Amino acid sequence: MTDPLQSLRRCADTIYSCRSCGMCGNKMTAKVPYVCPLREATPGFDHFYARGKIVIARGLLEGALEMTSDLAEAAYGCMLCGNCMTQCGATDRATAEPLVDTVRIVEALRADLLRVHPEWVAEGYRSLLAATRQYDNPWGAPRSLREKWCKGLDLPRAPQAGCDVLLFAGCTIASTPALHERARKAVQVLRAAGINPAIMGRDEPCCASVQRRIGAADMAGDMVRANVEQLNAAGCSEIVALCAGCANMLAGDYRTAGLKARVCHIVPFLAALLEQGRLVPRNAYPHAVCYHDPCHLGRHMGIYDQPRAVLRALPGLSLVERTATRQNTLCCGAGGGMRVFESGTLSLDIAREGLASARKAGAEVMVSACPFCEINLDAAAQVLAEPMQVLDIIDLVHASVEVRG
Amino acid sequence: MDADFLTDLRAIVGDSYVVTDPVARFAYRQDASLFGGTDAAVIARPASTDEVSRVMALAFRHAVPVVVRGGGSSIYGQPPGVPGENLLLDMTRMNRILNMNPQGMTVTAEAGIIMSRLQHACNSAGFYLFVPAAPVHTVSLGGWLSGAAGGGGIWWEIISITAVLPDGTVVRTGGGPGTHVRQTEAYSRIMGGPDFTGMFIGDGGSFGVKTEVTVRLLGLPAVTRASILVFRSLDRVLDLMARHVARVSPHPFDPLLVFGPGANELFSADGSGADLFTVMALMQGHTPAETDARRDAFEAIADELGGGHTPELDALAGMMSRAPDQESEMEMFGLGFFNGLGLAAWLPFNMPRTRMAEVYPLLVQWREERIAEAGRRGFECQARFEFMAPSDQCSVTGEVDAFFKDVPSLELRAFVREMILDYQKFTHELGLLDVYNQGMMSRLNAACWSDGYRALYSTVKQAIDPKRILNRGLWLERPPEPGV
Repeated sequence: MTDPLQSLRRCADTIYSCRSCGMCGNKMTAKVPYVCPLREATPGFDHFYARGKIVIARGLLEGALEMTSDLAEAAYGCMLCGNCMTQCGATDRATAEPLVDTVRIVEALRADLLRVHPEWVAEGYRSLLAATRQYDNPWGAPRSLREKWCKGLDLPRAPQAGCDVLLFAGCTIASTPALHERARKAVQVLRAAGINPAIMGRDEPCCASVQRRIGAADMAGDMVRANVEQLNAAGCSEIVALCAGCANMLAGDYRTAGLKARVCHIVPFLAALLEQGRLVPRNAYPHAVCYHDPCHLGRHMGIYDQPRAVLRALPGLSLVERTATRQNTLCCGAGGGMRVFESGTLSLDIAREGLASARKAGAEVMVSACPFCEINLDAAAQVLAEPMQVLDIIDLVHASVEVRG
Repeated sequence: MDADFLTDLRAIVGDSYVVTDPVARFAYRQDASLFGGTDAAVIARPASTDEVSRVMALAFRHAVPVVVRGGGSSIYGQPPGVPGENLLLDMTRMNRILNMNPQGMTVTAEAGIIMSRLQHACNSAGFYLFVPAAPVHTVSLGGWLSGAAGGGGIWWEIISITAVLPDGTVVRTGGGPGTHVRQTEAYSRIMGGPDFTGMFIGDGGSFGVKTEVTVRLLGLPAVTRASILVFRSLDRVLDLMARHVARVSPHPFDPLLVFGPGANELFSADGSGADLFTVMALMQGHTPAETDARRDAFEAIADELGGGHTPELDALAGMMSRAPDQESEMEMFGLGFFNGLGLAAWLPFNMPRTRMAEVYPLLVQWREERIAEAGRRGFECQARFEFMAPSDQCSVTGEVDAFFKDVPSLELRAFVREMILDYQKFTHELGLLDVYNQGMMSRLNAACWSDGYRALYSTVKQAIDPKRILNRGLWLERPPEPGV
């Protein structure tokens, strides 16, 4: 008989490293106004933040707590942003890695719940998985639409000799018409630097990040194994991902599974091109801009400096920082599938807080580097009394450098 | 649980601030201790003194046992109440600063506020609270006063407490509005009547639910100087401590921290220092000249007693020193540091300073014997950490902790739990007490009470809480089986 807690049991080491001190819910410093945005946006009971979730996980493992439908709120009420891990401060003395891996624990909690009692998991999450099975795309866009964003760009299809750089658009950008222009701008900027990237077009696979985050660990594992083979066969030496979630997944799980190509998110890639002088920003952007560190890119991949270097390279732009920035950044509210949780109302509440703190810091424009952040922040910005523009770094670079159509 | 009770409870605090589902309730079955949290039937997060008052009146009418929880940072567990029947009040929603009074140099805050949030607000206004031993990012103001104020440094700074008695009556202590109907400002703790503020400090929350607290502020010292020296003998360290407290009060501006051999081993890059004591003195002042002079005076005594300097420690002292308008980024000994050392057997002590030379070696010896026993059972002790500090002129607070390599083993947790319990029994036999009036510790302390003290407590408790609904299981009741 299959162990109903097999995923949690694999995390026992990190679950038992938690001392239940509560720092993950209560810490406050001059640079950390609070740790868990979800705790702030909800009634704030312990199961809404890391300590409570880990106590629950231990209770399940020790047989002191049974799985019930109420578990779904504790399991899915989390953005997997990892701020609790950062603020916890308990690290392995030899490796300096966090001892309490809340992201791993919550993903395992979700995985066991989804496997044993899928009926208790909200329909919205199950729809994402059904769409993945049907279309290899959690957003349910058929393959024929996957390359619509690059129509007319005449991009080479990998594998093709001489194409070293593979541009990986990701499902979210490919399936969201409002983001197509963003991807086209990225291509134009790369071409301005003399790089003509290849794409996989309709054959580009889903990276499985969404599936892993919402608990479909087995499905995600199968997808990764199959995709690694496909990506290795594409023959490119570097994969440049437009989506922070894809970049994190490709650089993590895929690397472990044998992916040969280097993985880079588009923003650090652009930072390198600027540094090498292959891109020269010319047009001024005279606005105060706040950069929102996407969790995938920041806390999970450690990329903080390059996005700021890109923004500082743009003439006229003044970069402002919120109180909680870089590794202390508070999630935009869209992480970990939160836009499905409670119909996304909490996601928007959290995003509004993020925008308010940016405005307080003097920002006119909020900029990020992740489609999930942008969609959520933009949705929140539309309903502010004083709307705020939400853009991607690519938009600003594109506007500043000389590009051809 | 009675349906009418729940309906009325929801009407008072709001439907979304009451939970009864088993998963949400289970999250409160654990705190920072190995002794467990609270097995509650319902959990509520009240938002104001008025709500707490109405909730307590309701619980009193229905005779529902109530357990109060702040940050959940106790290392000895929580009051058991009546497992499975408790109403647990999670006080952390009450986290507002109610009045910052820079002219009067007081701050009034709701009792559920986490200490670091309160400290930050005070710092922003140019003041600070001296809470050297508090886990500031996890403990609430109310929890700290109830459970640990005896050794925590701020007990004397507390001017006034607003508390809700078990029947819902709201009382306010201290010289000011509590004792003078024509006074609006809390300004002195002891004017106008008995020190009932003190009655609520260290009570383990058994006399009332603290909801608001007024604290006297200290001017934020703009200048910090640190002096760090090593000694080879405990006797010399204790001599230094005696001369330091005879000269200046260690509280609040001249704290002295002594680290033992285990701590030294952790601090050093190569594991050396296991035969040393390190003394760290902090001089906090308002001008460089004043603070430098205090540092020089301290170092003269330390030199006379044979204290040694090392380049590494001098560099560390330099990093910890802060000039006006400079912010020292160094946060030493955060909880994260200890959490990373392994599963902690917290072994704290509080004793008359004059007994340190006699008792301290006994505590270390006891610990070493138990660590050897752990080794025989296959549990690896991977760190030791000793520190001591004069909490005032008369007493010394400290710890001789051991940290075990954590494995997902209930046996290890049971061993460490027993170790903590046995250590406290041992220290009580030596005549010591711990500063914490929480969970199982309160019952150990109560077992040592004199008849008169016991009678006094029982009389007060009976008068205030005749139905014994509030924080049942503290002090005099028989201890339950430990832990989740």
